[in-house]
Amino acid sequence: MKPRAIKQKYSSVECQSVVITIDPEPDVIHQHTDYFGNEVTSFSIESLHQSLAVVVNSELTVHQHGLPPDAQLPWEKVTENIRKFEDHRWFEAQAYLQESPRVRRGKRFANYAKESFLTGRSLSEAMLNLTERIHHDFQYDTSATHVHSTTEEAFDLRAGVCQDFAHIQIACLRSIGLPARYVSGYLRTATAPGEQRMLGADESHAWVSLYGGEKLGWIDFDPTNACICDTKHIPICVGRDYGDVSPMRGVVVGGGNTELKVSVDVESMDEPAQTTDFESPRP
Amino acid sequence: MGRPAIMLVWRKPCSRMLAAVKLNLTPPETAPETAPFANYQSKHAIYDEYLSAGGYQDGAWHPIAGYLDRLGTQGIQACAAEAEHLVHQSGANFQITRDELEKSRPWQLAVVPLVLDSLTWAKLESGLQQRMRLLETVLCDLLGKQQLLKERILPAELLTANPEFMPAYHELPTGVNRLTLTATDLARDNDGSWWVTGDRTRAPSGLGYALENRIITSRVLPHLIRKSNVTRVAAFFSSLQKQLDSLAPRTKDNPRVAILTPGEHSYRYVEDAYLARYLGYTLVQGRDLAVRGDRLNLKTLGGLLPIEVLWRHVSDHKCDPLELDPSTSQGVSGLLQSIRSGTVSVANSIGSVLVQMPALMPFLPAASKFFFGNELSLPSIATYWCGGSKERQYVLEHLDDLILRPAFVVSGSPPIDPLELTSEERQALIAKIKDRPHQFVAQQRPSRSTTPVWHDGQLRPWHMALRSFHVQTSNGFEVMPGGLIRVSPENASLDHSPISGRRGQDCWIIANEPVDHETTLLPPSNAPLQLMRGVQELPSRVAENLFWLGRHAERTEAVARLLRTTLNRLAGENAVEELVDLPRLLAALAAVGQIAPDYAIKELVQALPTLEAVLPDSVFDREQPRGLQASVINMVEKAKSARDRISADGYRIITRIGDDLVGSLTNTDIGATIERLNRLITDLLALSGLANESMTHTHGWRFLHLGRRIERAYQTAELLAATLAHPIADEGPLLESVLRVTDSIMTYRSRYLSRLQTTAVIDLLITDNTNPRSLVFQLQTINQLIAELPNDSIDQASGEDQRSAEDLLHCIRMAQPTELAFTGTTGQRHELCELLNKLINGLPRLSNEITARYLIHTGSTQLLNGSTSPVSGKR
Repeated sequence: MKPRAIKQKYSSVECQSVVITIDPEPDVIHQHTDYFGNEVTSFSIESLHQSLAVVVNSELTVHQHGLPPDAQLPWEKVTENIRKFEDHRWFEAQAYLQESPRVRRGKRFANYAKESFLTGRSLSEAMLNLTERIHHDFQYDTSATHVHSTTEEAFDLRAGVCQDFAHIQIACLRSIGLPARYVSGYLRTATAPGEQRMLGADESHAWVSLYGGEKLGWIDFDPTNACICDTKHIPICVGRDYGDVSPMRGVVVGGGNTELKVSVDVESMDEPAQTTDFESPRP
Repeated sequence: MGRPAIMLVWRKPCSRMLAAVKLNLTPPETAPETAPFANYQSKHAIYDEYLSAGGYQDGAWHPIAGYLDRLGTQGIQACAAEAEHLVHQSGANFQITRDELEKSRPWQLAVVPLVLDSLTWAKLESGLQQRMRLLETVLCDLLGKQQLLKERILPAELLTANPEFMPAYHELPTGVNRLTLTATDLARDNDGSWWVTGDRTRAPSGLGYALENRIITSRVLPHLIRKSNVTRVAAFFSSLQKQLDSLAPRTKDNPRVAILTPGEHSYRYVEDAYLARYLGYTLVQGRDLAVRGDRLNLKTLGGLLPIEVLWRHVSDHKCDPLELDPSTSQGVSGLLQSIRSGTVSVANSIGSVLVQMPALMPFLPAASKFFFGNELSLPSIATYWCGGSKERQYVLEHLDDLILRPAFVVSGSPPIDPLELTSEERQALIAKIKDRPHQFVAQQRPSRSTTPVWHDGQLRPWHMALRSFHVQTSNGFEVMPGGLIRVSPENASLDHSPISGRRGQDCWIIANEPVDHETTLLPPSNAPLQLMRGVQELPSRVAENLFWLGRHAERTEAVARLLRTTLNRLAGENAVEELVDLPRLLAALAAVGQIAPDYAIKELVQALPTLEAVLPDSVFDREQPRGLQASVINMVEKAKSARDRISADGYRIITRIGDDLVGSLTNTDIGATIERLNRLITDLLALSGLANESMTHTHGWRFLHLGRRIERAYQTAELLAATLAHPIADEGPLLESVLRVTDSIMTYRSRYLSRLQTTAVIDLLITDNTNPRSLVFQLQTINQLIAELPNDSIDQASGEDQRSAEDLLHCIRMAQPTELAFTGTTGQRHELCELLNKLINGLPRLSNEITARYLIHTGSTQLLNGSTSPVSGKR
């Protein structure tokens, strides 16, 4: 999956350029757009190879507008409008309202969510509260879960990583009738002096996008860092859960153990770094 | 005696009664006392296909019932027995054990067909055509514009909450048609009207059985079916074939069409192999396939061959582990990409599983109105999707009148019948429905008509389920005239699953006009055909199965011969102590694993049960992992895996071997056992003769033959090592036995009369290249066969097998019979021992080298879940 333009009411991404370099040269390479609108590049290498390097070099502009001060719609109204088909985007919201392979709805999630989503509370306030509670109640622990852990397991452990936090928050939102989707992207490292270094820096990251009704559209929240997303968050692709948007997957034919290394570098264009060495990504 | 005698008993009355019918052109005034149809009675208030349609007096059944009544109870019984026999022999069945039989064929065939008149059928046909047109349109919409969802004709949850829906289905290009072959399950109500109980749009099973039922029924009742103007089904299969061919993106003329089967262990396999053979398609499994450069290919010994049309019988989500379900190997990585590239057509298209979901049924009438503005003429059985609040309430209030099924998947397990639940189970069910209502549908229990079924020597009114089959061509949907009938004494069991029911039946549609007898699946004779020699299309997997079939068949023969010779010695007039050759024969039996090794040790024999008891028992012993039984079972197993490559005659022989040996254990005295072994050996010879004379001598045959030659050389080497390596005092009787085991006694006698000498025996069995049983002959043939196999010079492993084979041949060629026969001071034939040991160690190695070079085509495939999330990144 590669970066693409995303237009939401209160945030958007513009793609100035995306260059993908694959070594060795693939025999076949294709592009297509998936069900969720993500750009997929698929390729195959049919010659024997010892290593495979995929480098994606993109130039993007991220806009975050922040929520308008009058976004005081009670959250129940959003669910009701969708349920009664009064929201003209109800159909779009449907795909993110139901259970998906990795996110099941459930009472435990609904109960947890309800503590933030109090009757009559405004959607943005309730959402921010839930985001903060997840950050507070759950331990960021890379050893607690693994890539196949279920959302329920992570919830019961009260621990996990960004992927788990995103899944948990999505499960909470869907369990009370709010459409939520999974966003996979990158996080820009905070380099300014005095600013705190953020978790998940220089890694790919995952967060949640909530559908806030016709007026607000999709709004992104980051439960790992307890905030509403800003320009440090660079969304790449969206889906119902992690399964829809794993940034890269494939099949290797033949023996031997494979080892995978991933690294992400995010540099700000207006404060350029001395060198941008994409050829040799850091391990 | 076994099968042949029984066959005569079965066949005789059949031909006699047919003759009788010919004489008896006018039916007798009154039906004979044993007239089953005249005396047939149906159940009260239930529609009966025979009686309600006019019975003996009138209608389509009339001439058929009359004919069968004239055959009388005995005549029909004979036909039923014949049908059972044909089912058993047919390629679609392969008996090893009772259990397997039940697994491999869901139903026994009931000989009396279901008869429908053309008017009834025409109405049903047009209803089915309308329904299938609708399903095609609904599917296109769900995977396209999704108008039905946006306009709220269908609840959006049918897609968004449906675990069967993979978003990738939506991204695939629309081919000509999304649905090629479909099926619909029907029940007939008390008033004679038809109801749909379910649709099958993914990869409907049962077509092969429907075909087989027709073939067998028409063989058992050839005159009746021809005289009765029964609409033929051949035209339907011809349309199916043309349609599949026409899907080929490029080669329209004779494209390569493959049937993708889930594998030998799937219930589909028997049927898939049968269809592949009948339609002339290649039967493949996921591991036979590879996508290279966007094209789908078949991995064969001769390299990769492109496949243009894939008729897939694996689940939608299992078709491509790369983009769909990664946990399965039934499909092939990259298939979706090759579909997107337009180089292959898949039938039915991936995603077609969606329109068979039971939850769709209640919304079809509205969808029909939405798209076509008309009502559905063929109604579905009352179905309630619990995702709707009104429906859910109705279901919970009327739970006892309904059965419950999963909403999104067609499951093989029986529906939940609330009447059969305990009160706790019932509460649990209600809680489940309330918790996840959209996952349930409730259905009315269908009433089902009865039809006369021949069972236990009489006609009984059994309930009936009809599965119709339809193929979509450029002219719309064509419905197979007839279908698959399942019958059962109780109504409910037919609802359990698409394969439940006690018996199957053929379904005859009686035409008003004379039927077309011309259509056959043979291509038109005027079509130009490319002449071909040798089929390259041998999947490596099939080659492997043939190779092992050869080995196991030869092993079976060798062990059977050794056993027979030993038993013949025991059955003679001599006392056991006088049989000087016996210990050596026992050593040979122990060496091949037929009896416990203790029998080869003189001192231990006394303590063991007598040989007269042990040897015949060992023939039937399934526990002995290397014994004769295991060998037969392995052989049948491999034959089953290479099913589409073995002729019907070959099957018959293999089935008979399985039956004869693995079957009953009534008589295990020495005489009867010898008789069985005689039959087994004759059958095995017939099989090998058949392979030589009726199989083209291409790669498939070469692998079969290689397996045989390697095993024969190995068995001979083991035998000679056990018998002649350490000479005994009076070697004459032993030499004779060895010659008998190796089937070389006649040759020996014609050369040397009755003078038995070790050197001459060794020459005949080892160094004589004119004797097809000698070691040198085996190695010569092995070398020749290996040289003829495809040679890929890039392959690093190339040549290892060739070198080993040449090396072994060279050792035998250099050996001198006199030196081999020479006994040294240690009391051992040193040269002989050395040569035989070389073979005993070298042949298995050669077998492994051949397997490594040709038969293990690719390494394992591993999933690269290149997740860049911190979770896996740090693991």
